[in-house]
Amino acid sequence: MPADVIPISILTGFLGSGKTTILGHLLRQSGLSRTAVIINEFGEVGLDHELVEASEDSFIQLKTGCLCCKIRTDLAQTLQDLLQRRDAGKCSAFDRIVIETSGLADPAPILQTLMTDTSIAGRLVLGGVVATVDTVTGAGTLQREDISQKQVAVADKIVLTKLDLSGPAQPALLRRLTELNAAAPVLSADRGKIDSQCLFNAGLYDPRGRSLDVNSWLAQDRHSHARHDADIQTYAVVRKQPIGAVTLTLFLETLAEHCGADLLRLKGIVNFAESPDRPAVIHGVQHVFHAPAWLKRWPSDDRSSRIVFITRRVPQRWVEVLLEAISAEVGDVSVAR
Amino acid sequence: MSKFPVDLTCELMVQSLAAWRVAGAVARSRDGAIVICGARKDIRIDPAPSDPMFRWMVTIDGRKRRAISIVAVLRQVREALDPGYAANRVRVALTALVPY
Repeated sequence: MPADVIPISILTGFLGSGKTTILGHLLRQSGLSRTAVIINEFGEVGLDHELVEASEDSFIQLKTGCLCCKIRTDLAQTLQDLLQRRDAGKCSAFDRIVIETSGLADPAPILQTLMTDTSIAGRLVLGGVVATVDTVTGAGTLQREDISQKQVAVADKIVLTKLDLSGPAQPALLRRLTELNAAAPVLSADRGKIDSQCLFNAGLYDPRGRSLDVNSWLAQDRHSHARHDADIQTYAVVRKQPIGAVTLTLFLETLAEHCGADLLRLKGIVNFAESPDRPAVIHGVQHVFHAPAWLKRWPSDDRSSRIVFITRRVPQRWVEVLLEAISAEVGDVSVAR
Repeated sequence: MSKFPVDLTCELMVQSLAAWRVAGAVARSRDGAIVICGARKDIRIDPAPSDPMFRWMVTIDGRKRRAISIVAVLRQVREALDPGYAANRVRVALTALVPY
């Protein structure tokens, strides 16, 4: 990884689900000693920052509002300032940033800010989204609070907390987590303790190995358990035939145009007809997409395109038929020429 | 005339109404067109006669409009059936998914 490209991870989870406790333990681990922390507290008197011991010069508390709706520009500005201070040697030379969101934050707009702000472009790479779920009250929270469902749905990893109080997680809670996000591995924290290496290598890029772990990132084999009558659904669309670049562009544009707000997250590996030996990885959050990242080679013998969708009530069949129809039309036009 | 499979378009319309959460009925007419009734609109979709530019003809309450692609057909149908519809436009992220 280039020296100045820094992974940025998001730690999310509903109010009281144990985010700050986990972060406090993580920052004591040697693997995360060079971490800048941004805590977003939403309220008159923020306390979370008092509970986390971190180097003061790379620790920032954002308390002017909720990150997802009020202070997205503040977040971008804060990150820009942090990077400038690092470049100027005015703070610790951190090599990772963790944002702890407020318990009421929707992580999708935060991801979009990280993806689209010009002031931080080229300096940061997404390190993944981690969501905490309280095993004592989590099932009820997930039933009542839409935002907690969304936090779980967009996560790359889920961490169960407060197992010391609840005992083993209830099967009903585990089923609900699978319904919301079958792709994300479910880990457990022991009184807030969890290995940082398990947690923050949740993104596509593995900074330790300086490699792309596509199969783990997609976790495509875990989607068969998703319940399809749920509000939030996870499914994978698999296509054996290569997909033309024009087809994929039209497909993604149409998805965004018609269902952008409900397209919580999309991740995939694509066999482009124009590039059979070098697949591309795609990623989107609502209507914001990363440019495809081209891999040097296929990560396995499976050369099918696999696109994982996490959506709110976007039917899988519509997505499949849309891709099929656009592909057929593009093919039809090509033949006619 | 296009050899594009009209059955596929018909299924796409059925699924699109479900995806948009719009009430309506989709059927095939005897002459092969796709007919959609919903939101007090009558919509008819035909493959366009040979035309180097336009592949589809969309008739909404008797008014004919040509459509360049199936994507354009979807947009016209959505606008007719869903007056509150505001299209999102794709934005391309500036930050990298992986380091360059």
